Amino acid sequence: MFIFSGSLAKAALLSVFACLFCQAGMAQAPIAIKNVEKTRAAALPKVTRVDIDGLKKLLKPSGKPLLINFWATWCDPCREEFPDLVKLDAEYRGKVDFVTVSLDDLEDINTRVPKFLGEMKSEMPAFLLKTPDESAAITMVSKDWSGNLPLTILFTATGETAYFRNGKIRFEVVTAEIAKLLTPAPAVSEPPILKLLRDK
Amino acid sequence: MKRAVFLFTLTLALALAANAQSIDIGTAMENFSMPDVDGKTQTLDGLKGKNGSVVIFLSAQCPVVKGYNDRIGQIAADYAAKGINFIGINSNATESLEWVKSNAAENYKFPVLIDKGNKFADKIGGTVTPEVYYLNAKNVLQYHGAIDNDRSGKTISDPYLRTAFDASLGGKKIERTSAKAFGCTIKRVGDK
Repeated sequence: MFIFSGSLAKAALLSVFACLFCQAGMAQAPIAIKNVEKTRAAALPKVTRVDIDGLKKLLKPSGKPLLINFWATWCDPCREEFPDLVKLDAEYRGKVDFVTVSLDDLEDINTRVPKFLGEMKSEMPAFLLKTPDESAAITMVSKDWSGNLPLTILFTATGETAYFRNGKIRFEVVTAEIAKLLTPAPAVSEPPILKLLRDK
Repeated sequence: MKRAVFLFTLTLALALAANAQSIDIGTAMENFSMPDVDGKTQTLDGLKGKNGSVVIFLSAQCPVVKGYNDRIGQIAADYAAKGINFIGINSNATESLEWVKSNAAENYKFPVLIDKGNKFADKIGGTVTPEVYYLNAKNVLQYHGAIDNDRSGKTISDPYLRTAFDASLGGKKIERTSAKAFGCTIKRVGDK
C-alpha cells in the first residue's frame, strides 16, 4: 500500500512537472514558431525582377562561361532538371557563371519561386522576367526558340553558344560541354608540309 | 576545321530543336487526317469553317493551357459564329487517350485530334502548348503563335489572335502575323 502510494505520489509529481513544462512550452510556442518562420523567410533565395533590357545584360558572359536556364514552377521538366543545375553550380562555381530566369507570374516573385529555389537549395543568381512583349524576349534569346520550357544555353566566355538544350538537360552532357570550355585547347602543331615550305 | 565542325553541329542541333520543318506565313497547310478522341477520322478540310480554321496545339497537363482554357473556349465560340472553326491537336506522348478525351469533354466544344507519334507536330514544326495556326478558307497560314500577350489573362494588351481574325474578316492586312509566348514543351515520343 505504502509502495503503491509512493508510486502514485511519483506519478502525480511527474504529471505536475509535465503540465508545468507543457504550459511553459505552449506559452513559448508562438514566439518560437515566429522565429522559425522569420529564419525561413530570411533564408529564402532572392529573386530579382528583370525586363527585356535586364535580360539582354544577363545573356552576356562576364569573362567566364555562362550557363543560363529558363524555367517556371509550373513546368514539370523544369522542376525535374533543377537538382542537376544545382549540382552543376556547386561543381563549377567560380569557373562558370550560372543564372536562372523564371517565367512565373510576377505575383510569385516572393512566394512560389523563392520557395522552390529554397527547397532546391539553389544558390544561383535568380531572376524573374516580366515584359509586356514576351515574343521579343524569346526571339532575343534565340530566334529558333518558340518559348517552350525549359531552355538551357551554355555560352563561352566570349558569348558564343556552346550548348543549346530546349528540354530537360542531361547532367553528363552538360558536364562534358563545360569541361570542353574549361580545358585549354591544345596547341596546333604545324603540318610537316607547311614546315617544309616555310623552311625553304 | 574544328570550328567548322562545331558550327555545323550547333546549326544541326538548332535546326532539330526547331524541328526544321515548319510552315511559313502565306503558305498553305496540306490537308491532314487524324483520329479524334472517339477514334473517328477527321480531316482539316472536313472541319474547317467557311472563313477558315485554327489549328491549336493543346495539352491536358500543361498549366499554361489550363490557364487559357476559358479564353480558348470563348474565342472559339465567338469566331465559330463568324465561320472560323477551332481544331485542337494533342501531340503529347505522355498523355493517354482517356486523359485527353476527358479533358476535351470538360474544356472544349470543338474536336480534339490525336497526333500519334507527334508526326503532325513534327511536320509543321509545333513545339509549344498552347500554339495556334490560323488558316484562311484556302488553308493558307495567316497567323502563327501565341493567343495573346498575357498568360494570366489579367492584363492582356495585345489579343494577337482576335486581332488577326478581325483584320482578316474585315478584309484588312494582318499587322502582326506571328508572336511567341512562354508555354509547355510538346512531349514527343522518345523525349526523356
